[in-house]
Amino acid sequence: MRPGMEERFLMRAVWILSGLFAGYSSAESRFPKPQFESAYTAPVTPYPPVHEILAPWADVAVLAVALAVATLLIYRVRSRRWILVFSGISLLFFGFMRQGCLCPVGATQNVVAAAWHGGGLPLYAAALFVLPMVFALFFGRVFCGAVCPLGMIQEFFIIHPVHVPRRVEAVLRLVPVAVLGIGIVAAVNGAGYLICRSDPFVGLFRRSAPLVMVLVGVAVLLVGMVVARPYCRYFCPYGVILEWCSRVGWKRFEITQATCINCRLCVGVCPVQAIAVPREQLPERARTFQFKRFVRVLGLAPVVVAGGILLGWLSGRVVASAHPDVVQLAAFEQAARMGSEEGLVDVEAARRNGWSAEVVAGRAAATVERFRRGMAWAGGFFGLVVALRMLQLTRLRRLTQHEADRIRCVACGRCYPACPKNQG
Amino acid sequence: MQNEQTFSRRNLLAWALRAGTGGVVAALLLRATGHRAAAQGRAVWQLDPRKCIQCGRCETECVLQPSAVKCVHGIEMCGYCKLCFGYFKPNAPRLDEAAENQICPTGAILRKFIETPYFEYTINESLCTGCGLCVKSCTNFGNGSLYLQVRHDRCVNCNTCRIAERCPAQAFTRVSEDAPYLLKEKL
Repeated sequence: MRPGMEERFLMRAVWILSGLFAGYSSAESRFPKPQFESAYTAPVTPYPPVHEILAPWADVAVLAVALAVATLLIYRVRSRRWILVFSGISLLFFGFMRQGCLCPVGATQNVVAAAWHGGGLPLYAAALFVLPMVFALFFGRVFCGAVCPLGMIQEFFIIHPVHVPRRVEAVLRLVPVAVLGIGIVAAVNGAGYLICRSDPFVGLFRRSAPLVMVLVGVAVLLVGMVVARPYCRYFCPYGVILEWCSRVGWKRFEITQATCINCRLCVGVCPVQAIAVPREQLPERARTFQFKRFVRVLGLAPVVVAGGILLGWLSGRVVASAHPDVVQLAAFEQAARMGSEEGLVDVEAARRNGWSAEVVAGRAAATVERFRRGMAWAGGFFGLVVALRMLQLTRLRRLTQHEADRIRCVACGRCYPACPKNQG
Repeated sequence: MQNEQTFSRRNLLAWALRAGTGGVVAALLLRATGHRAAAQGRAVWQLDPRKCIQCGRCETECVLQPSAVKCVHGIEMCGYCKLCFGYFKPNAPRLDEAAENQICPTGAILRKFIETPYFEYTINESLCTGCGLCVKSCTNFGNGSLYLQVRHDRCVNCNTCRIAERCPAQAFTRVSEDAPYLLKEKL
């Protein structure tokens, strides 16, 4: 017999035997802890405490201070250079040092999910969520302008912003509304936080991420070289909320404190197409036409909302596929197709918990039903926003000078140095 | 005169909208932060080793590469076996420390002789990728003293843990940051 042969034989025997009894014997009793003759002391397994960059309330305080400084720079100092410097500091601190979670954008889901389930949200999370909104209600989107790390990383990639055609922009700007709706429905119904999962930059901030995440992040930054801030304008769900707060907000961002001479220089430098250009009062006939159009769109609004609800209901199944119940059902279906459960860990996990294919199917059906209902609500919200925006298009306000559009303006301050009235 | 009136009306509407928005947000926050007063600190992710089925997704799904999930050794449960099921492959050619005999693909388990016939096993965490191969074998055939845990010196505590979302056994939960580990030997 070769050396080691008996050991191998023994090993196989133990393997098979213990395999037989694996389900029955309690784990502790299999191989009792030995009584050592030598003076042996077992090593202590280290359990490092939570790696914390900032204590929760320090986190909130830093955000509040950052928002206050940003407001000061945008409204009092009114200097693009200082805003840019502060953007860099924000990017380094909130992005690369603080490394993401929990951020106000993602906290939207925590807040709504907690409200839906009747509480349990830590106060600091609520504070993180609400601070940028409070500032937006008073001063517009200063959070987007010089604090949010997702915005700041794109800010530094704006090389040659092109003008996105108005119609394309109008369609693309509906995406954030849909993302907000879907994200909230998924969070409330337990399918995880889709808004966080689709954050393209957090991997770059942590300098460690799955390849796909890095590639998407880099791709968004590259697109951002020609289409300024694509994530902010055409994806960010928190932006939808801040836009609303900014629209009803108290103070507005002013390109110049002097009188505008309508030189159009600010239009050229604004990367996000946020400058409203002067418009004459329409002649009487055109106004009648506009009014008729307004009435027609108003009549159409219920149809748009109903369409949204239908669309939401139909997409419920797709959104539900992120939920673990539905994932498990998909695994069972795959097992049925393949005729074997080999390697399907979702099936294995269900079997261990004693859930049969029928139980899983029943639960998945109930989940899909919940998602359909939730998505119908989200679709209705989406339809309402579409209808309101259509109505907005028929309302042409008279404007005598160039001014920053409260909704689109992210307060980057590029128009300050461009305006000849600001010089000297 | 008429102009002033429209302005004040518009002003009133603006303040009503502001107050309305503030009110809605305040109501939402009151409801969200209400009731369960206990949940005030940060919550962190942890996996329950009793639910874990060692599917291997902890290694691949974590946003960090290598994963923040590592194998830990609850040494109080260990049998100090010479023939460790967590250490040796089922068809290991020889029972020694050579790489081809080991289950661990990165050689992260250290085996040290104590006294006949006992060996001590420890984890070299800088090599561990959290694949759970040793855990599976130790749990199925041994004492189950090897198990996976989220290591909080590495975990960045994402708002939504990617592994938790993909965990087939739904073993991931949020725990208080004051007691951030679920130690199998103490459960």
